[in-house]
Amino acid sequence: MHTVIIRPASSGWLRLDEHVARLGEYSDLLYTLTLHRISVRYKQTSLGIVWAVLQPLLMMVIFTTVFSVLAKMPSDGLPYGLFAYTALLPWTFFSTAVTNATNSLVAHTQLITKVYFPREILPITYVIAGVFDYAIGFLVLLGLLAWYHVPLSGYAWNLLPIVALLAAWTLAVSLVLAAVQVRFRDTGVALPVVLQLWMFGSPVIYPLSVVPADWRSWYLLNPIAGVVASSRDILLHRAPPDPEPLRIACLVTAVALPIAYLFFKRAEATMADVI
Amino acid sequence: MAAIDVRFDAVSKRYRLGNAGRGTPRGGREFWAVRDVSFDVPHGETLGLIGHNGAGKSTVLKLLSRITAPTAGTITLNGRLAALIEVGSGFHPELTGRENVFLSGSILGMRRREIVAKLERIIAFAGVGPFIDVPVKRYSSGMFVRLGFSIAAHLEADILLVDEVLAVGDAAFQMQCYERIDELRRAGTTMIFISHDLASVERLCDRVALVSEGRLVSCGDARHVIAEYQQQVAHGAVRDVAGIAPAPTPGTVAIRTVRFNDEDGREVLSTSTGSRLRARVDLNVKTPVPDAVVEVFYYSRDGRTLHCQQSTALSGDALTLSPGDQSIEFTCDQIGLQPGIYAIGAAIRERHGSGTLDWWFGSRILYVEPGKSVRGYFYAPHEWRWIGASQADRHPADV
Repeated sequence: MHTVIIRPASSGWLRLDEHVARLGEYSDLLYTLTLHRISVRYKQTSLGIVWAVLQPLLMMVIFTTVFSVLAKMPSDGLPYGLFAYTALLPWTFFSTAVTNATNSLVAHTQLITKVYFPREILPITYVIAGVFDYAIGFLVLLGLLAWYHVPLSGYAWNLLPIVALLAAWTLAVSLVLAAVQVRFRDTGVALPVVLQLWMFGSPVIYPLSVVPADWRSWYLLNPIAGVVASSRDILLHRAPPDPEPLRIACLVTAVALPIAYLFFKRAEATMADVI
Repeated sequence: MAAIDVRFDAVSKRYRLGNAGRGTPRGGREFWAVRDVSFDVPHGETLGLIGHNGAGKSTVLKLLSRITAPTAGTITLNGRLAALIEVGSGFHPELTGRENVFLSGSILGMRRREIVAKLERIIAFAGVGPFIDVPVKRYSSGMFVRLGFSIAAHLEADILLVDEVLAVGDAAFQMQCYERIDELRRAGTTMIFISHDLASVERLCDRVALVSEGRLVSCGDARHVIAEYQQQVAHGAVRDVAGIAPAPTPGTVAIRTVRFNDEDGREVLSTSTGSRLRARVDLNVKTPVPDAVVEVFYYSRDGRTLHCQQSTALSGDALTLSPGDQSIEFTCDQIGLQPGIYAIGAAIRERHGSGTLDWWFGSRILYVEPGKSVRGYFYAPHEWRWIGASQADRHPADV
């Protein structure tokens, strides 16, 4: 017989294994909800799925105009559009997923106060839906690479673990912000500004090479920096990724994700009361 | 002794009042929604949970369904728990009925395989067959609710929580819902049933627990606990109805009291549906009242709904009252009121006069216990006779 013991919030929240096991029991819900995210996203828009392609593409055009044509930003000798798009793809994934996930719990107040399921499912579905958009955006990137006559190198497969790393880091940030947003709606209000700053703190519009050497180790604590730099190494420089930024990004994420998850689960116990 | 499916062990739940986002979340007022509640529900039993609004019933349900964690104590559940609450949870307006069955079903804890297997039955139960591939935003509210309930009613659970959902849909659908619940009970599902509809609670539950201000006041035999609850609410009902009384014209006539007598003339405080009941209004008349109208009102316990009125204006001759003490008696051969608790009011006025001469609203409460089985809003006195087959077949024109 399946026995469940429900205890006060203050005990048992450190059992990471239990949380993961319970999440596993709800894998069907995770699957259905993710499917739902993807299918609903562009419902009642006339362009539909085209938006997943159009969004980063338009950003690329804007960035190229402002930062390359007007501001003459360096791009390691690469065509600026390609240079920017390669970074915008992971960046858009991060910022969109974090924005959606932060709001995910509050947007589903009705569900949270009426039905139980592991609440992390809501932010997770937005992160997975982000991976889907990334995949579509990547097809566009392949087109751009062909346009600029940059063939894929043998290192291209390295991108898979890098996307996994990006998703893990995005999830860590999403879990913390979503849990905090339930209690303090300030989070959602401040988020656009923070993300804007974050983008300028990541090598999106400029190359990692322009970051002063003294700042570099601090700068790389931001896993987005490692992800973006590695993506460019692999796809544009057609070289193996620089190990240092990647190592730091992995380390930071490996520490942050379990802590973020436990923080979320601790907040989950009383989420329905304060939402 | 059957195995215990649900065990509440000294469970308490504290809420902090006030806006969590402002000031210090640690400070502020506290409120114990559930305080030191313990009870067991053996396998296969249906436990009713009754109490005033805000007594803690819903919190008990939220704790059971893990929506919120207890502040103290432990809850042990043996078996898979599902909650039949808030119909239509997780419906997305843009998705079709079919897509929503999958979405809502998985939110309620169903596996996809299970949903696929039950899809046809769910659609048939909801009666939305032709519209299943239409976005639910185009559904009528009735269809929406029926589909939502249908999904929840097909959850496979060892323990089922039922929260006031049966107030949805039309009479036919409600009956269908009760049948489904009976079916699940017969199949051995353990149930916890929350409702304000005491007649349903009594019909469905093996035992009833009464909660008041977060504490478990009593738990036991359904009839007994419901009677206790009715006495508890009586005082509240008196207070509520007193507020709606029209202002009387003082000094002409005074209603002293309203009393109830049974067939043998004994004064009674309770009756049962379908029984004979006499209501006696005692008056003290100071100045003569020509063509008086005396009325008795039966209000349900929310204090606003008038369920029944008896009036001297409905039948008989004109009633002229001369000074002195006197009584008017109303007789009802078979009282049609549903089992429940009714607050009693009485009024006296002149048939052609403008104002009320006196309005009485004392402490009188009438308990109506289950008597003649009632399915519907009231009991209608009726008789029946058997008509021979040959006669029944004959068309009236042939006679």
